[in-house]
Amino acid sequence: MGTIRMDRRLFLKSAGATAGAVAATQVGCLKYFKKGRSSAAETKEIPTTCELCPNKCSAIAVVEGGFVKKLNPNPENPKSRDMLCARGNAAIKQVYDPDRLKQPMIRVGARGEGKWKPVSWDEAFDFAAKKLSEVKGNYGPEASLWSSTEGFQEVFFKNLGLAFGSPNLVRHPTLCLASVNLAYSATFGTVPSFDLLNSKFVIMSGANRFESIITPDTMDLIGGVMERKAKLVYLDPRFTVTAAKADEWYPIKPGTDLAFILAMIHVIIAENRHSKDFVAAYTTGFEQLTEHVKQYTPEWAEKETEIPAKDIVRIAREFADAGARALYYAGRRSSWYQNDFQMRRAQAILNAIVGNWDQMGGMVPNAKLPKGEFLFMPWDEPKAPRVDEIKTAFPLAAAGDGVYLKLRENVLSGKPYPVKAWMVYKQDPMNSLPDQAKTLKMIEQMDFIGVIDVQMSDMAWYADVVFPESAYLERTDPVEVMPGIWPAVVYRQQVVKPIHDTKPNLEIVQGLAKRLGLGDYFDYTIEQWVEAEFKDLPIPMAAEHMKKHGVWAASGQPSYGKTLTPDHRFVTKTGKIEIFSERLQEAGYDPLPVYAAPVQPPGDRFRLILGRVGYFTHANQSNNVWLHEFMKENDLWINPKPAERLGIRDGSYVSVSSSVGSVKLKARVTEEIRPDCVFMLHGFGKKSKMQSLVYNVGASDAVILETAWDKVSGNAAFHETFVKVANA
Amino acid sequence: MRNSLKLFAVIAALSASLAAQGGSDTKGKFFFKKNCKSCHAAGGSAKEITPLSKTQAQWKAYFAAGKHKKGAERIDSIVKPEQVKDVQTFLVNHASDSPQPETCGG
Repeated sequence: MGTIRMDRRLFLKSAGATAGAVAATQVGCLKYFKKGRSSAAETKEIPTTCELCPNKCSAIAVVEGGFVKKLNPNPENPKSRDMLCARGNAAIKQVYDPDRLKQPMIRVGARGEGKWKPVSWDEAFDFAAKKLSEVKGNYGPEASLWSSTEGFQEVFFKNLGLAFGSPNLVRHPTLCLASVNLAYSATFGTVPSFDLLNSKFVIMSGANRFESIITPDTMDLIGGVMERKAKLVYLDPRFTVTAAKADEWYPIKPGTDLAFILAMIHVIIAENRHSKDFVAAYTTGFEQLTEHVKQYTPEWAEKETEIPAKDIVRIAREFADAGARALYYAGRRSSWYQNDFQMRRAQAILNAIVGNWDQMGGMVPNAKLPKGEFLFMPWDEPKAPRVDEIKTAFPLAAAGDGVYLKLRENVLSGKPYPVKAWMVYKQDPMNSLPDQAKTLKMIEQMDFIGVIDVQMSDMAWYADVVFPESAYLERTDPVEVMPGIWPAVVYRQQVVKPIHDTKPNLEIVQGLAKRLGLGDYFDYTIEQWVEAEFKDLPIPMAAEHMKKHGVWAASGQPSYGKTLTPDHRFVTKTGKIEIFSERLQEAGYDPLPVYAAPVQPPGDRFRLILGRVGYFTHANQSNNVWLHEFMKENDLWINPKPAERLGIRDGSYVSVSSSVGSVKLKARVTEEIRPDCVFMLHGFGKKSKMQSLVYNVGASDAVILETAWDKVSGNAAFHETFVKVANA
Repeated sequence: MRNSLKLFAVIAALSASLAAQGGSDTKGKFFFKKNCKSCHAAGGSAKEITPLSKTQAQWKAYFAAGKHKKGAERIDSIVKPEQVKDVQTFLVNHASDSPQPETCGG
């Protein structure tokens, strides 16, 4: 018998097999074994595309001896330019994370108990297919729910859900930017980019862009605002990094941004400062707007917003004077209030009337680049209606995305029909949905839950089977077009082979599809898919170029004004920019934004407001060891006045309670927040013990957030919760 | 069975089964790209056409007339008769005045 060399990989495999053989095993955090590196190891530089946030920045992986040694920015991508943020750099630690999922596992204890049996891929596929088939047989295919978040391989997961026969795909937008997308689509027929690099005057409402997520937009803000001295006016109940960098910061009364915007429109129209030529040529409904905003005076708005009327007037004048290079920036933040769509609509209308559409320094419709498409075999349309009743409850919302919170309500009630299986890809509903107790109830009533993820998220922790996905540095993905002012096509290619027994999502989908009798719909390889996409790129030797460079961008300067022609048709009902929206009116909504004052917290409570930091904007990165170094725990910001009244000292533990839950956090007593609000960061207080750095550390906002949504888009409204705070 | 042969067989089966039903957006997209885009693409032998090329009413009128090449051919001589309704459904659903809000990724 020869000698067997035990390297790390073999060790992990054998450890898994042994664990499987001895029945139920509590899976802890297998320590990552460092492999000795040869000093003569070959070094390669492989271009790829980052996946640590949705921005798809181009990166170059430096690979030495089969290990990713470093990630560098790829300057060839005009959108991400020569930038890779802290999170992007930390992708290395996603691969070499000792906590990550290393093999398929089937739950053997109670849900959430953390007892798992490592299994082979065949066992995992067979188990899931059997459970899904049982649900289909008992309740129909519509009784399965398929939840996913944006990603290059998301398409395969969605297609499996549809081919299975379920109409119930639910994506992340109604936990994210659905209200923005719908408001700008309803007004302009598209969601434009904001030319922050060239703008002269920028206003932001609560989008903390210097701090909460670091993207090319952040870089443009730095270029535009910090270097070119564009003016930045910032509204936020909290003094954030963006507030610190702004020319003017107003700690606006929460929920009143719409009043501020309507009063700005009032001033601009009353003083005849709007762009008359643009409004006449490209918009419809300006007359109705003129009448509508007469009621919204700056003096009225001062009472609502607590921003002085004289400042509102001055800001409106300065904004209109900047004209085509003025921007009310939508930013990147979710919905805060139940009127979020109408607040976004008002922003869009304000932008429209100063004529910043398709102008340098204004809002620019996204340029696109062509790519080929792999034509996969189509399936029969799911026959059942969606369980979230989107067609009647939110008739203008994106039907393919679904409306998450309404869906959860209906699933919990069992109406219009029962949902008994839940497949999840790359999403953590336990932390991304408000009211975690409700999500847990939804989990309880499922006959089957399967999760595909790189790590043991809280959702995975409550699953029946987990399918470990390869990290992005370990796999090749479909090609993606990044539309924008500087459009590009990006390619994510495998940098290193999977270090554990993981698979790319496509192969996981294929494994399930085969056992569900759906294999013919997924009978292709990622290479075939990608080759079809390369085919229509308008560059010679496209495949070779993309493999060598990882990105292709059209050369030249941004092109402004292409839509400013007499025969251009906007993708709206009238073909014009719709200030007044007949489509909204027909659907039973206000055709122009109408203000309603938000309900204020009673004297003994605070409005809970949320936010992010760029290290781990989304909840799924807080366990990354490099990022964790930056911030190890979240805390509760509270103003000194109420803190004194409640006897709360800086650094002491407090309980924070809403009608749906209670958490314990350290208090940060600070002047940097209004006295009527408290603030906490997202992404801590995990329930999964395989998120070891943040397991039970800090608190999850999802525990105390109440269920509320924007009335038009269905986007979760995250600032509608009032909490009590007391010493713990 | 090779992919293409398998694809052909299944499409034929699916098309026949759907002939009497309402149109399918998913299948319509497939048939549009497979049949129409072979000519009506950028740099193709005919003018580029996308769903945004017409309004919903214009697409409906186009399919009601049922003509191709300005009346020189019938549309169902280009797209199989049983596929026409699917293609129409796809094009109307995504027409230039269709209420299709943009989304994030996906």
